[in-house]
Amino acid sequence: MEASFLAAVKVSILAMVVIFTVLIILIFTIKLLVKLIPYVAPPPAPPRHQTVSATSSDQEEHIAAITATLAIHLGKSPSEFRIVNISQN
Amino acid sequence: MEFSFSASATKILTTTGFSHLAIGDALMILVACLLIYLAIWKKFEPLLLLPIGFGCLLANIPMSMMANTDAGGLLNFFYQGVKHEVLPPLIFLGVGALTDFGPLLANPTTLLLGAAAQVGVYITLIGAVLLGFNMQEASAIGIIGGADGPTSIFIASKLAPHLLAPIAVAAYSYMALVPLIQPPIMKLFTTEQERKIKMEQLRPISQTVKILFPVVVTIVCCLMLPGVTPLLGMLMLGNLFRESGVTARLHETAETHLINIVTILLALAVGSSMTAESFLRIETLKIIVLGLLAFSFATAGGLIFGKIMCKATGGKVNPLIGSAGVSAVPMAARVSQKVGSDADSSNFLLMHAMGPNVAGVIGSAVAAGVFISLFGDVPPSEPHAAIADIVGTVEPGIRTAISQVAGIAAGSN
Repeated sequence: MEASFLAAVKVSILAMVVIFTVLIILIFTIKLLVKLIPYVAPPPAPPRHQTVSATSSDQEEHIAAITATLAIHLGKSPSEFRIVNISQN
Repeated sequence: MEFSFSASATKILTTTGFSHLAIGDALMILVACLLIYLAIWKKFEPLLLLPIGFGCLLANIPMSMMANTDAGGLLNFFYQGVKHEVLPPLIFLGVGALTDFGPLLANPTTLLLGAAAQVGVYITLIGAVLLGFNMQEASAIGIIGGADGPTSIFIASKLAPHLLAPIAVAAYSYMALVPLIQPPIMKLFTTEQERKIKMEQLRPISQTVKILFPVVVTIVCCLMLPGVTPLLGMLMLGNLFRESGVTARLHETAETHLINIVTILLALAVGSSMTAESFLRIETLKIIVLGLLAFSFATAGGLIFGKIMCKATGGKVNPLIGSAGVSAVPMAARVSQKVGSDADSSNFLLMHAMGPNVAGVIGSAVAAGVFISLFGDVPPSEPHAAIADIVGTVEPGIRTAISQVAGIAAGSN
């Protein structure tokens, strides 16, 4: 096929027009789809963690033990942090 | 049979590869070693350049029967997958299974950036014509700017098979060099203020839309440009495997084992086409230079359109995401993120850049489809490649009769 500068320019312009046309059609199609089928947030999953059903004194002991272990592990004083809740799987 | 030691020794010596090693073969072995070096030690697209380099090495060992043109040779069989356009679409199947079109669906106008980046393809086409290539060859060279290896191989094998090797090597080499090529151009075309623009968080997209998207793209694009159906159809099928949620095994196979196996076959086949006769030519140098131009203009095209979108939206779009429109998933998006975070460390552009990045894949496939529509003239009566050899041996008169009978049979159905 004979190739000339002018032919190449014409092909380029034509091709860019086709590309933009195809992709603009896609844009509108996507927008239509998104409008027709909006995102619905899934219902919140039921909580998987249950609070320990221990007596108050049991929980205090657990907190004390964990606080001490963490304090040793982190190299901090137990007064520098506070455990507010314990849960189990 | 009489045995002569000297005659046998001479015969063995004359049948070694060394005795038939031409300068061209030796140079190509050096090129193969360079590709292997770049792949292993410089990490330039190692998954592709390593098997391409090794395929090149095998193809240039004299008398090894490993070149793509050696009928009956091992790599000749692999090359049939390129010649008959089987392997690139299978790569696209895997790419589709790996690609999340969510960012594109959340901000569909970024498709325009994927379209704008294709300007590099056409500027390169014009450059290639000026350098003396014909229109088919120029199209195959221009598509390097699409920064999509399988698309480049697909178009080269269709429009300019004699240029397949340099086009494939240029495409994959420059894709590996995206982190080096793009940042200077990005900084040249954007201001510091523009690079600091923070974009709004992308909205979530319904899973149903994600499922419908590949079907809609296939219908719209393949009806417009049927020539691109093998590529785009496979890309969208792979994505449908991913999003449908009912084909987990197919999705897993497509995104892992299949794409890996096909990559090995495709890269070896491309490497086997890198013989001295096809590669050591002045055209190769021209293609290497044009490939660099293609990447640079594609990046600039995306950035300029990004700036236009930035102005049009009142500064809501960071122009840096435009450079990701060159495809090269996900490397180009990562470069946008890197340049954006260099300007402002709290700027996260990665997900925003993924939109134009995957749009670039569609854009380059559409550009390929335009080339096939314009220059890939295949008469409707042409037999399928699988039976071409059989039909080709029949006398022309009988072929006409077969066509007429086939036409009557089709009409009666």
